[in-house]
Amino acid sequence: MMDHLNNDLLIDYLHAQLPPEDDALAHAHLESCAACRREYEAEAALSETLRSAALAEELEFPSLISAAVWEQVRQAQPTWGTRLAGLFRPAIAVPAAAAAVVALYFATPLSQNGALPAKHISATYYLEAHAAQQARNPLGERSPTAAQLIESSTLDIGGASDLADVIDAPPLAMMPAFDAGR
Amino acid sequence: MGAPRVPLEPPTPEQKAFLERAMQQYGKATYNFAYRLTGNEADARDLTQDAFIRVYRAWRSFQPGTSFLSWIYRIVTNLHRDELRRRKGRFQEELPEDNAPASFGGERPLAVTPIEDYVERQLGEPLSRALAQLSPEQRQVVILADIEEYSYQEIAEIMGCSIGTVRSRLHRARALLRRLVERAQRPT
Repeated sequence: MMDHLNNDLLIDYLHAQLPPEDDALAHAHLESCAACRREYEAEAALSETLRSAALAEELEFPSLISAAVWEQVRQAQPTWGTRLAGLFRPAIAVPAAAAAVVALYFATPLSQNGALPAKHISATYYLEAHAAQQARNPLGERSPTAAQLIESSTLDIGGASDLADVIDAPPLAMMPAFDAGR
Repeated sequence: MGAPRVPLEPPTPEQKAFLERAMQQYGKATYNFAYRLTGNEADARDLTQDAFIRVYRAWRSFQPGTSFLSWIYRIVTNLHRDELRRRKGRFQEELPEDNAPASFGGERPLAVTPIEDYVERQLGEPLSRALAQLSPEQRQVVILADIEEYSYQEIAEIMGCSIGTVRSRLHRARALLRRLVERAQRPT
């Protein structure tokens, strides 16, 4: 026969907070001990009275609480952090990023098919380059070779000493004298 | 209540729906819990309102699958404790120590006019009167264990203390309640 159950044990038993073995022992003891059972019933009555009193005075949720909460929510203003974070939302960030990429493209040499930006070059450069190119062209108007050929063809064509004959002569490449001169 | 007013962020649609559902489903239980803790409707309204604002702010930290009621009871308990501390500080500032009423012991931090009002209205009910005489922590543990029927483990989580503390607070609170009720029921 175990000792009487103290109130702390009874309260834990009442709230089903004892380990299973202790709970079983307490249960068995209460079956056989009238004094402990009386004490247990007093504790149980206290709990029951607390619950009944709470139930009896239960209040409805006042609508003005939810109204006040919603009012606070309505007055909410975004903070700078939120505004900044809002810029990173996909709906805003994606078009903004696309616009930035396009702007960057047109503002950089990438839009010039990879060419570097044109430097400021003096017009004489083009004249000199053109002259050099013409000099390399054997049939160009300033080509020394052409001048020599014209001169030599004038000599080679024999009877065609007149300038008009030279002008009317077939192209140099087709001339027999040119072939013969090799 | 005197909770610091940190600006709220505008709601997202999910946040709005969460708050709406929380108030619809748990508003009544939360308000009644707050009412039992504070003992008066005005403080219970403020406490409940602050609790739902906190739910609104921290809605993402709620873990689906856990008890919402336990979560909001924890919020209410914390807000109530903060409010008691705030009032205690204010009360101590307003009254020199030697002028403090003798009945305001260490366990009665509130300038308890609301509770006295409550007790005045409930004179015919010795239990309610006795409940109002418990310390805030003892009252919380009795409400959670006997009215809300939470386990010690759940109460410990709600109150942010150990199971041992819950157990000892409950034992002391119930012993005190029984003495107070018996005294009140004794014919004078």
